[in-house]
Amino acid sequence: MNHFQLARTAVPAGTRLRFLRRLAHGTVLIAFLFAPLRAFAETEHAVSPPEALKRLSLEELFDLEVTSVSKKSEPVSKTAAAVHVVTADDIHRMGVLTIPEALRYIPGVEVARVDSRSYAITARGFNGTVANKLLVLMDGRSVYTPLYSGVFWDVQDAFIEDIEQIEVIRGPGATVWGANAVNGVINIISKSAASTQGFLVAGGAGDVERGFGGVRYGGALGSQAFFRVYAKDYDRGPSQFANGQEVGDASRMYQGGFRADWTPTTADGITVQGDLYRSSIDRRKSDPTDMTGGNALARWTKRFSEASHLQLQGYFDRTKRDVPSTFAEALQTYDLSLNHRFAAAARHDVVWGLGFRLTDDDVSTSPVLGILPPHLTHRLYTGFIQDEIALTADRFYVTIGSKIEHNDYTDFEYQPSVHVAWTPTPQQTIWGAVSRAVRAPSRIDRDFFAPAQPPYFLVGNPDFDSEVLNAFELGYKSHPMAELTTSVSTFYNVYEKLRSLETGPPYFLSNGLDGRTYGVEAEAACQVTGRWRLSAGYTFLRLILDVDPSSTDTGTQRQEDDSPRHQAFGRSSLTLPHDLSLDAGVRFVDELPHQKISSTTVCDARLGWQPSKAVEVEVVGQGLFDPRHPEFGTPASRREIERSFYGKATCRF
Amino acid sequence: MPLLARRTPTLALLIAFVLATPSVGWAKLTQEYDLKAAFLFHFAQFVDWPADALPAGNSPFTIGILGHDPFGKSLDEIVANETVQGHKLLVRRFQNVDQVDSCHILFIDPSESVRMDQILSRLKGRSILTVGETKDFALRSGVIGFVLLEKRLRLAVNLAAANAARLTISSKLLRQSQIVGPVRVQ
Repeated sequence: MNHFQLARTAVPAGTRLRFLRRLAHGTVLIAFLFAPLRAFAETEHAVSPPEALKRLSLEELFDLEVTSVSKKSEPVSKTAAAVHVVTADDIHRMGVLTIPEALRYIPGVEVARVDSRSYAITARGFNGTVANKLLVLMDGRSVYTPLYSGVFWDVQDAFIEDIEQIEVIRGPGATVWGANAVNGVINIISKSAASTQGFLVAGGAGDVERGFGGVRYGGALGSQAFFRVYAKDYDRGPSQFANGQEVGDASRMYQGGFRADWTPTTADGITVQGDLYRSSIDRRKSDPTDMTGGNALARWTKRFSEASHLQLQGYFDRTKRDVPSTFAEALQTYDLSLNHRFAAAARHDVVWGLGFRLTDDDVSTSPVLGILPPHLTHRLYTGFIQDEIALTADRFYVTIGSKIEHNDYTDFEYQPSVHVAWTPTPQQTIWGAVSRAVRAPSRIDRDFFAPAQPPYFLVGNPDFDSEVLNAFELGYKSHPMAELTTSVSTFYNVYEKLRSLETGPPYFLSNGLDGRTYGVEAEAACQVTGRWRLSAGYTFLRLILDVDPSSTDTGTQRQEDDSPRHQAFGRSSLTLPHDLSLDAGVRFVDELPHQKISSTTVCDARLGWQPSKAVEVEVVGQGLFDPRHPEFGTPASRREIERSFYGKATCRF
Repeated sequence: MPLLARRTPTLALLIAFVLATPSVGWAKLTQEYDLKAAFLFHFAQFVDWPADALPAGNSPFTIGILGHDPFGKSLDEIVANETVQGHKLLVRRFQNVDQVDSCHILFIDPSESVRMDQILSRLKGRSILTVGETKDFALRSGVIGFVLLEKRLRLAVNLAAANAARLTISSKLLRQSQIVGPVRVQ
């Protein structure tokens, strides 16, 4: 984990830093399992000797903490057990072209490709094409839609070479990020303009990815200000039914954007960025689905001292999606937030923040379905405070905090958490957390009608309440040697008032389900030699839903079966002589019984040749083992994912 | 939060367990100048010197310290028995910029700060990777400045100064660095 990157980017910069550290520290249960750790604790560790330092990689050196500045000594930062960071290098070495594909090799995360454009993505269960328990942010801008509390993955794109990292935090992050950070948070963070200087031209083609290309140029405006602009597009072929017949959902997208960073003084940083896109997806016998959108964001960070920062951020986001003769939605979001971090006393490190978000949507209805009222303006007020208390310097931290929100549907929501971290030796951290998170109602939950006129078949529920999660987490992370990192995370989540589908007529939505999930996520990464890196992960998940006595929901079995019970992956990244690099990944996904999708093993591979720093050529194959395989959906309508290949060339100058 | 309330005893138990654990005061800390020494060593690997500036024959690859030496033994310990492109690494201490003859990386101690502009201009045109930690070192046309941020060491890199010295800095270093000064597209 690179805290520098965490600290200088996106959302509550200081806040996230605190939060991740908090995750890295933590409680406990595993202590019982790892009782011998106590023995380690007796070993006195002083300062790492200089000779040990030179064996560390650059990344590790950048991650070390220096003692001489602040007398408050802290342990070497470690990736928290429930945090996984996909670095720019990982994205490059996977050869992926899109953000969802970059989330494939992460324990605890489910990524199922529904068709050529859509994905079902979640963490820790409850997957679906409209999965609603994951919060996704791009450079501090929420891309979650209040329409269904989920993410339209098909329009979340970026200039992939300019992504610095993707942080995936499993488990609730609601205390800092607010409602809908229920099962996890994904932060997609772009590089600073200063580190993307010059031209980058990339393009390629393949069988499914019929053509893609992009250009980025970064330049300087004086000595303290940098900018970049980019444009990209792609043309993607249709997906196929199980019998090989084409679905007719070919798609294309054009996107452009910019980012400028200005550091007028050493204590101030100002970032301005924005994107615009247009995209369409073909439909058989209908007009194509048309999507447009854009956003603009400005952020000012002021650093008062080592431990005190202030950040002010505002953004505007507009998205429009038109599925002709079915449904159209235009959504405008205005968001303003303030975060402040300061040291309240020697042992207290406090972060607090205030936020306001206004969403304004316009949903056009059709005979098929209606959202009523068609136009809605919502206001969300948030505030949070969190205090990290160093109970024993370097070894034992307790962090308590809560978010308080007010939304127009359910009024006040509070989302507290307690994190405890214990670092018995420099090489290991045991952490635990107890948190409460809610998923606030969405438009679909409250205002949905199908068809648009009575008699209705299915309706939303004006009394639909927030879904509530109380989560209990325990994790263990160790770094036994410079080349090896391992982590194990466990959780027990208790859900209340989950969405149920009550039997009709008409069918209606209610909060008639309770649920429990528990699981284990383990991962290890090993730098075997300077040129060979291996990583592996395993995920176990069990989801149990209970129907309230008052509820007539009959779909619990289906929902329980929508997430695989076991997942595993292995990845190898090999740097070969003659400027070649070879990467391969194999992932196993357990069966989805209700969807009648049997367990699958999928292999992806990439071969790259980089004869100079300026030029690289890559060939990527995805889904290599089978001609095609299904990942999500019931047999009658589902699309399958073809084995596919593409070539890509990248040039920097 | 009814459920949370119900679970509180469990949490209390867990916290009690942790508190009961004997506390041993230690942590893995890094001395600032040990870390800086390790970075100087890494610079030799992540920066390319022009062929004519590399040591000739068997002569050593030199890391110089100009002014007061803040490293103690750590830099010597780190470079001991190490080589760069087949050349042994050597640490040399200079009291005066005029003594700097054969040198590839030069750390300029803050003790020289009053003479900094003069020193940097004397070194102009030579393929020496100048490293410093005075405020705005890289802005004042040093190549790499150490900056402490959030207790971690960061680099401020002046690419124009690197270009002028015909040094090529690896993207692995730049990725974690702040680029300062006028930027020229390479």
